[in-house]
Amino acid sequence: MAVFISAVGFGIVTAAILAISAVGFTLQFSVTNVFNLAFGSVMTLSGFVAYWLNSAGVNVWLAMAVAAVSGGLISLAINEVLYTPFIRHGLNLFGMVIVTISVAVIFDHGLQAAVGPTFFSYVAPAGKAFHFADFILTRQELIIIGIALVLTILVQIALQYTRAGKAMRGLAVNASLARACGIPTRRVIALAWFVSGVLAGVGGVALFLDISTFSATTGSEFLIVIIAAAVLGGIGSPRGAVLGALVVGIVTEVGAAYWNPELKDVLAFGVLIAVLLVRPQGLFSRLATERAITR
Amino acid sequence: MSAATQYYIATILVYICVNVIASWGLDLQFGVTGVLNFAFILFQAAGAYTAAMLSLGPSSASGGFQHYLIGVNLPFPLPLIGAMLVGAALSAVIGLITLRRLRSDYQAMVMLVISVVATVVAESVIGLANGSAGLSLIPNPAQLLGGFTRQTQTWFFVGLCVICMLIVGVVMYALVYSPYGRVLRGVRENEAAVEAMGRSATKARMQVFVIGGALAALSGALLAEFIGAWAPSEWLYPETFVFFTAVIVGGRGSVSGVAIGAALVAVGIQQAVQYMPIGSDPTLLAAMEWIITGLLTLIFLWIRPQGLLPEQRRRYRRARQRTPARAEVREPVGT
Repeated sequence: MAVFISAVGFGIVTAAILAISAVGFTLQFSVTNVFNLAFGSVMTLSGFVAYWLNSAGVNVWLAMAVAAVSGGLISLAINEVLYTPFIRHGLNLFGMVIVTISVAVIFDHGLQAAVGPTFFSYVAPAGKAFHFADFILTRQELIIIGIALVLTILVQIALQYTRAGKAMRGLAVNASLARACGIPTRRVIALAWFVSGVLAGVGGVALFLDISTFSATTGSEFLIVIIAAAVLGGIGSPRGAVLGALVVGIVTEVGAAYWNPELKDVLAFGVLIAVLLVRPQGLFSRLATERAITR
Repeated sequence: MSAATQYYIATILVYICVNVIASWGLDLQFGVTGVLNFAFILFQAAGAYTAAMLSLGPSSASGGFQHYLIGVNLPFPLPLIGAMLVGAALSAVIGLITLRRLRSDYQAMVMLVISVVATVVAESVIGLANGSAGLSLIPNPAQLLGGFTRQTQTWFFVGLCVICMLIVGVVMYALVYSPYGRVLRGVRENEAAVEAMGRSATKARMQVFVIGGALAALSGALLAEFIGAWAPSEWLYPETFVFFTAVIVGGRGSVSGVAIGAALVAVGIQQAVQYMPIGSDPTLLAAMEWIITGLLTLIFLWIRPQGLLPEQRRRYRRARQRTPARAEVREPVGT
C-alpha cells in the first residue's frame, strides 16, 4: 500500500506538469484549431532561457517567471511571423500540422546546434521532504503542484468570467459568428497564443526541474505525453486536459512502481486508445468531427 | 574505380531506391488520398525487423549475443515477402483502430502516439528485437553468391533494389493513373462526392493505408538487409517527417515527382551537408540536415506547394462545354 500511495504522489507531480502544459496546448487549439506540434519546442526554449538565467545566479522560481513571459512572446512571435501568414496563404488543417512540425524541427535542432547534444540541469535544491501519511514530496514538488493548481484554476475562472475568456470561448464555438458579434478575433487569437506560450514556459521549467536533466529535444519528447493527456480529455477542453493529465500522470507513475518503469508511457497510451475506442471524441469534447482552422 | 568509390556509389543508389519506395508508399496515403500517417516510419521498422528475424538463425544459436523472436533462417525472397505481409497486417490493425471512427485530426495525433509507443516497447522489451541495441548480423541476400567478390555482391544487391523500385513504380503508375486512382483523389478532394457515387471513402483510406504500409515495410526490409543492422534509433518518430518533406518537395500525388523528391531530400540533403564548411562534428551535421529539411518544407509550402513536378490535373474540355449539371455527373471528384 505504501508503494501505491507514494506512486500516486509522484503521479500527482507528473500530472501537475502535464496539466499546466496540456491546458496551454488545448486552449490554443480550441481557439485557433492549429495543432501546434512546436509547443514542445517553446517549452524547451523557455526552459533554456530559465537555464541561462539560473546559471547566472538567478533563483530558479524567478527564472521560471521570466521563462513564462519569454515563452508567451516566442509563441506569439511564431504565430505572427509564421503561422498566420501560412493560414492566410490558404493552408488547411493538415498543411498547418506540417508547418508546425517543420518549425519544431528547426527550433529543436537549431538549439541543439547551439548548445550541443549534452544534458543540462538547474541549480536548485529539491528542498526539505514532507511526509503526509505515505506521500513523500519535496518542497520543490509541492511548489510545482501549487503552481499547477493556481494556473489551471486561473485559466478556468478567466474563461468563465472575463471578457477575453468569453471571447475565446465564443471563437472556439463559432469563429465567424464571434467576428460578426464584434469580437476582435485577431487580438483574441494573439492572446490565446500568448497564454499558451506562458503555460508552455511554466510547464517547460517545471518539467526540467522534475526530471532534473534535460537536452534540446526534451520538450518535444514530452509533447507526445501532453498530446495524449489533451486528446484523452477531449482536445479543446481545458477541463478535459486537467482530467486527462491526472489520469495519464497517475497511471504512468503507478505503472512504473508495479511494472517495468521503462514501459510506463505505454500504459498511458493504452488508456488513451481504450478511451478513444469507446468515446472517439475524448472525455469532454462534444465534437465528433474536426473543424476548419480559424481565420 | 576504387573499391571504396564503388561502395560509396552503391550505397547512395541503395538509399535512393529504398527512400523512393517508402516515399511512394507515403505519397499514396498522404499525396493521393490525403491520409495523414504520422506513424509511417513504424511500418518501415516493422518490415526491417521482420526481414531480419526471418533471415537470421534462431536466437539461441547466437550464443547470447542478441535476443529476438522467430529466427527461422528463410532463404532470399521469403524475408522480403514476409516483411511486406507483416507491414500490411500491422497497417490493417492500426487502420482499424484509427481510421474508422476517429475524427481526422485525432487520427493524426493517435498515429504519432502509436509511433512513439512502438519505439518505447522495442527499446524496453529486450526479448522482442534485442532492445535499444537492435539487431545486427542480418544476412544479405547477396551472400547467396558465395563464390563472387564482395563488390559483385554489393552490385547484385543494388540491382535487386533497383528491380524492386521499378516494380513498385509500375504498380504506383497503374494504381494512381486509373479509375481507382480517381476514387482515391476524390477522397482527398471531396469525400461527400465519392460517397454519393457509391464508393466508400473509409474503405479507400484503409486500402491505401495497407498498401502504403506494405511498401514502407519493403523499403525497411531492403534497408536492414543492406546495412546488416537495425535498431530503434533508426526509426524515431521525427523520421516520418523526412518522407513528408520528400512528398511535398517532389509534388503531392505525382509519382515521378515524389521519386525526385525522395532522392533530393532523403539522400541529397545528407550528401550536401557533408560538403558544407561547418566542420565534421556529427551532431552538428545531423542538426544541419534537420534544419535544412524543415526549412525546405516551409519554403516549398510557401512558394511551390504543388512541388517540383506537380500532379497533372486532367482537364475535360468537352465536359466543360456541356451543361454544368452533366459535367458534374461525369467528373465529380475534381481530378
